[in-house]
Amino acid sequence: MAKFTITNGKTVTKPFNKIWIILAIVIVLLIIFWQFIKFNPEFIALDQLGIILKKMFTPKGTRTWGDYFKYMLRLKEPLLDTLQMSFAGSILGSALAIPVAILAARNIFKKKFIYVPIRFLMNLIRTIPAMILALISVFFVGIGVLSGILAITLFTFGIMAKMLYEVIETVDMNPFEALESTGANKTQAFRYAVMPQILPVFVSYLIYVFEMNVRASAILGYVGAGGIGTVIKDNILYNYDRVGASVIVMLVLILVVQFLSNFLRSKLQ
Amino acid sequence: MMSRSEQALKKKPKTWIVNLIFTAAMIVAIVISFSGSTINWRRFTTIGISLRVMWEGLSQINVDFLLGIGIYHFQEGILYLTLETLAIAFIGTFLGAILAIPFSFLSSATIVGKHISKIGTAILVLIRVFPEIILALILVKGFGINALTGVLAIGLHSVGMLGRLFSEAIDNMDKSPLEALDAVGANTWQKIRYGILPQIIPDLSSIALYRLDINVRSATVLGIIGAGGLGATMILAAENWNWSVLGTIMVAIIVMVLTVDAISSYLRGKLV
Repeated sequence: MAKFTITNGKTVTKPFNKIWIILAIVIVLLIIFWQFIKFNPEFIALDQLGIILKKMFTPKGTRTWGDYFKYMLRLKEPLLDTLQMSFAGSILGSALAIPVAILAARNIFKKKFIYVPIRFLMNLIRTIPAMILALISVFFVGIGVLSGILAITLFTFGIMAKMLYEVIETVDMNPFEALESTGANKTQAFRYAVMPQILPVFVSYLIYVFEMNVRASAILGYVGAGGIGTVIKDNILYNYDRVGASVIVMLVLILVVQFLSNFLRSKLQ
Repeated sequence: MMSRSEQALKKKPKTWIVNLIFTAAMIVAIVISFSGSTINWRRFTTIGISLRVMWEGLSQINVDFLLGIGIYHFQEGILYLTLETLAIAFIGTFLGAILAIPFSFLSSATIVGKHISKIGTAILVLIRVFPEIILALILVKGFGINALTGVLAIGLHSVGMLGRLFSEAIDNMDKSPLEALDAVGANTWQKIRYGILPQIIPDLSSIALYRLDINVRSATVLGIIGAGGLGATMILAAENWNWSVLGTIMVAIIVMVLTVDAISSYLRGKLV
């Protein structure tokens, strides 16, 4: 401990900075976890990175740049599939999330036996990655858009229910109580006191979730849930140029959706 | 003669027309969404069978395989793979956080000024747009089929979001300590050490912990293209509809994610 003598004669001790303990823990964890990252230095071939990028973003073999861009136009259908999946999944998942969020909010039904088990179930659903949800959906309804919709619905439901009950818990409850005191039942009080408060936030979250789902559909397509991810998976072995074209189309789609989502959400506030 | 309240009610704008049109448009859009050519509604008749098969598999959790004991090698057990997934997420987040710091300075208006910060923000948006799986798809060629690819993919992808949140934290920083330090004659390093770091470190760690939550989830799926962790075993089991293995993996993922969530939210609560 460093000790300092101030001009008035008192000695002060510099307090121990806890950051060093935290830093030490992080470093120890990094070292422990590094043991799991087994890699063979011989496998590292950085020149391959350039080759793969060139393969992805230039036409393959005898194909011309015209073919490359024509292929992008052919991606219209999977692109629409992706949007369709994300849209339907976002709407359905959010619609399902509303009643559950109301039950899970601590300030509407003030009963522990209602909100504790519901929150636990919601946490459980949220831990399952979207891809596993897609795998399960593919098992039930087969490869295609429907399994994508199902997976995204469940995924949206998990996130939306959590975000919504947190919003419901922060609303001003005075109007709710006022309505209840005039004889309105819980449904009416919710409709006229809480709904107007949460509706803008809900719409903003809905747009945000849609944006997230468009992103997630890249992964979902990989396990057979339709959309542009499927095209990437189908071509990954032989047609890197098509993978590249699909990636470009997907990135543009994500950028556009992100831009629109930011724009709409800023308008809502 | 109408009472005043009735008059007020009459003046109320007729929002129901807008609401009706909006609802109708939504319903039409959803119906269109469900009319894809690849949708096979007859699959719904077999849902009972599917559920039974799934349940039978899920209820047979293979403990030997879970722990990697008995006939299984420890390194093919789910426990080891789960730890590997955790390792990928942790190191990836750390890498992302370190890489995000320079980008966050570059996109923070208070540090580099309005014009340069726009360039920084644009770079971060471009990084964020690349889904992890696409990054891993490219990186796997250069770094081979192993966990290092996963670490790099997660690290690079995290830079996008972490950089933005970090720069917001820096922009929200209280600038009066800096002026005070200026007044007592501190040099640049001292200003960073005593004026900036104590303010932003709690925020930055809290953001990084939040990102760790997200990255643990994404690390579980990166294995499907060979970037290490649980994903490879998972996709193999899924392609064979091996529900007992899938069930084991799901249990492992749920336990891991819930634990990390709990630890991270506890630590974040302490930080803020």
